[in-house]
Amino acid sequence: MSASSASSTTPVGRRGFLGFVTWAIGGLVSLGFGIPALAYLFGPALRSQQEETWLPLGAASKVPLNTPTLFKATVKRQAGWIVSEEQIAAFVLTEDGREFIAMSNICTHLGCRVRWIADKEQFLSPCHNGIFDKLGNVVSGPPPRPLDRYPVKVENGQILILGG
Amino acid sequence: MTARLAGWLDERLGWRRVWESIFLRKVPKVNWLYTLGSATLFVAINQIVTGILLTIYYVPTPDHAYDSVQYITTQVPAGWLIRGLHHWGASAMVVLTALHMLRVILHGAYKYPREVTWLTGVGLLVLVLGFGFTGYLLPWDQKAYWATTVGTRIAGVAPVIGDVILRIMRGGEELSAVTLARFFGAHVWILPAGLLGLLGIHMFLVVRNGISAVPRRED
Repeated sequence: MSASSASSTTPVGRRGFLGFVTWAIGGLVSLGFGIPALAYLFGPALRSQQEETWLPLGAASKVPLNTPTLFKATVKRQAGWIVSEEQIAAFVLTEDGREFIAMSNICTHLGCRVRWIADKEQFLSPCHNGIFDKLGNVVSGPPPRPLDRYPVKVENGQILILGG
Repeated sequence: MTARLAGWLDERLGWRRVWESIFLRKVPKVNWLYTLGSATLFVAINQIVTGILLTIYYVPTPDHAYDSVQYITTQVPAGWLIRGLHHWGASAMVVLTALHMLRVILHGAYKYPREVTWLTGVGLLVLVLGFGFTGYLLPWDQKAYWATTVGTRIAGVAPVIGDVILRIMRGGEELSAVTLARFFGAHVWILPAGLLGLLGIHMFLVVRNGISAVPRRED
């Protein structure tokens, strides 16, 4: 890349200039491929989740007092080009028949499904013995936080949760 | 720092000599037709890069192939660009390879000592056509399906062994999931392996033997 053949007044010779231009064009072409490639690879993974909607769980009158009861709702999930129906489940608890709370049945430790142990009045996650009380607070075991809650509302006697 | 690292590496790898013999070698005074080989190589690299990217989302089964291609084209960011580059690049490959071969024929550049370069080039042309033929089926739309139906049947009219060839290509009597899967396997594994091997020999010989000058009147 020496400028020996160029005249002494120009610091960059023909050879050096053409070498620089070659590298510059190569760099531009690489960017032209690289930026779309990164968007292509990471775009779908980083796209925001689908919107949440109010999902009907069942009649409010079917919820027994003081006992968390499992209700299921069907949600539409789109993954790539595949649309599938998936069931999500929530424990609904009421102490007076008017105020309801809905808890996710997914353990906050590593995602196992919790079950309600009626005679102990506790939720048990079977994977690593995570134990939650009736309101979803951690009693013992590895879970870092209480069970997640869904926003709940009651319309025309139907319980609805906000999820997706 | 960079210079010291380059020197350290050169002492152990000898990369400067490799670099010089590839990029700083002496070439005769030639014309723009002599860039057709490099152009073909550039498009081949384009096909490799965009082809690898397409396999990230493409699924070669009858119930997913068409939908996954539509997903790439309409949903994935820059998916239309990646697919478009691969689609048009495929046509460009065939055109450029043929023009490159034509230049070599017309200049008599296949003669001693470059016969093996020519022979590997012929092999590369066959591989490029194979890429085109197998890749055409992968979008699994009507055009793909019927083009491959016709294409495999053309192979089937060869005397005596035609029927065997047709069955081997289709993986059975009919065009099916088996056909799609084996065309995909050929397109992304078998043909690229052959391409990289032959291309390596082809390029090595171009560097080793140098390129031929434009023939003169008295040649």
